[in-house]
Amino acid sequence: MIVETQTFQYPGRLPLQSGAGLDGFSLAYETYGTLNAARSNALLICHAWSGDAHVAGYHADDTKPGWWDEAVGPGKAFDTDRYFVVCSNVLGGCSGSTGPASPDPATGKPWALSFPIVTIADMVNAQALLADHLGIEQWACVTGGSMGGMQALQWAVAYPGRVRNVIALASTARLSPQTIALNEVPRQAIYADPNWRRGNYYDGNPPNAGLSVARMIGHITFLSDDSMREKFGRRLRNADNYGYTFEAEFEVESYLKYRGDAFTRRFDANAFLYLSKAMDYFDLSYGLPSLAAAFRAVTARFLVVSYTSDWLYPSWQSKELVRALLRNGIDVTYVDIESRYGHDAFLLEVDRLAELTRDFLGRQA
Amino acid sequence: MTAPPRRTAHRLDWEAILSLVPSGARVLDLGCGTGELLARLAAERSVLGRGVELSEADTRACIARGLSVRQGDIEEGLADYPDNAFDIVVLSQTLAYINRRRPVVEEMLRVGRRAIVSFDNAGYYRARLRAALGGGFGGPLDDERPRERPITLGQFRTFCDGLGARVVDAAFVGRHASGPGGRHAVWPALFAHQAVYLLERAP
Repeated sequence: MIVETQTFQYPGRLPLQSGAGLDGFSLAYETYGTLNAARSNALLICHAWSGDAHVAGYHADDTKPGWWDEAVGPGKAFDTDRYFVVCSNVLGGCSGSTGPASPDPATGKPWALSFPIVTIADMVNAQALLADHLGIEQWACVTGGSMGGMQALQWAVAYPGRVRNVIALASTARLSPQTIALNEVPRQAIYADPNWRRGNYYDGNPPNAGLSVARMIGHITFLSDDSMREKFGRRLRNADNYGYTFEAEFEVESYLKYRGDAFTRRFDANAFLYLSKAMDYFDLSYGLPSLAAAFRAVTARFLVVSYTSDWLYPSWQSKELVRALLRNGIDVTYVDIESRYGHDAFLLEVDRLAELTRDFLGRQA
Repeated sequence: MTAPPRRTAHRLDWEAILSLVPSGARVLDLGCGTGELLARLAAERSVLGRGVELSEADTRACIARGLSVRQGDIEEGLADYPDNAFDIVVLSQTLAYINRRRPVVEEMLRVGRRAIVSFDNAGYYRARLRAALGGGFGGPLDDERPRERPITLGQFRTFCDGLGARVVDAAFVGRHASGPGGRHAVWPALFAHQAVYLLERAP
């Protein structure tokens, strides 16, 4: 399946949750499958922190498919024979959508830290304008894992008439202090890199050392104690015996280093900071008496899935979400999947996910 | 709570439960297993069914039937369901495996207008005979299923009185069943294999 990334350009002003605004923005997006005549089979996939619009299939020059190819395609969890699947790069990102690395129209230079802070609600409002552009009045389903799940929840809350089903994987209605802490340490790693220069690095060397450490921390939080033991054990990379040096000897060290370095080649450090702040600010109960109050107007059906070994978005957060939905009499289905893969399970447990999405969406569309 | 044994396809109490559920009711089934009872209630009584189930595999089996089921422990509470959210809350063959029975049944009668509770009658004459002849209550010692609390009909009546629940109807199911819905009316404390009670809050 060969796909191409397209770009939606919105010329008007997008008011932001912070009170600021953006005069025009772009969103990169991809589509798969065919929108039916009734325009009733559209399914939006919202990506997580480091994702992009390229969720499945191959670009003409790709050696690897999109980031969730195992779950998106003909006959897969999100079946492109049945659904018109849309995935867009979030506002504030760095993979084709407007973000801190994009040129500020006023100066022609990259926004850097003068880019306004965007929130999950802002990302969703931008996606809603893309939906208008595509002629999609109502999504059959909005889904995503982690930060993608936050967007799916935000969709149901902000646009209750435009979402029939929500599938929220390994996600939460509000970030926990532990997860905010695990976002702050990576930010500090980037701030501490002398190349960062308060975000003004676009004419020089980017803060790759800081971004690499930031990503390493991320990868630790995506795995579990179990999956690390299974994946790496205490194995050494190149030797049978200890070298008694500070080289990356253990396999787990070289894995993290490799992942960190690879990330710097495809991700902008400022965008990483902006997206982490968007997650920290995410709290559907903000300004309300309770989390349940956030879902008063919601009409969508929900499938909420958590994973037993996920300590970044632990099961209790999904249960908290489920309880808030139940308080409103909302039709909610919840499963806590037994998995050893930690937070990454939402990307990896595709067989059980395919079963669940088929069964859950089976009665619909 | 510990997981009760897997339900079998043909359960004695289901016919009685089906006969006690009015058509079109909103029903919450606690410990709904693989969703067979909810599926029958939906097919035969056109109920709007919801379930709570402890095991992941059984929850997924329910989802495969198209049911809205939440994986969870009923002893962690039903606090998040609004008052009278359901017409009937069902607890089929699960009471014996719950550690704290009173708060669960009290909550059933808060979130539902009525509750149906079914359980094996520990006073069934065969159970009494087996115990009297040295076989004890419950299964053999090497049985690895969770421990089951034996419950007699008298104990259950006292329990209901204690929490202010009124018995609206009862069906007694036995091997020598007679009457509509397989109900057994003759000396149920001794001859009923299983008991199915329909409860409501005492006025």
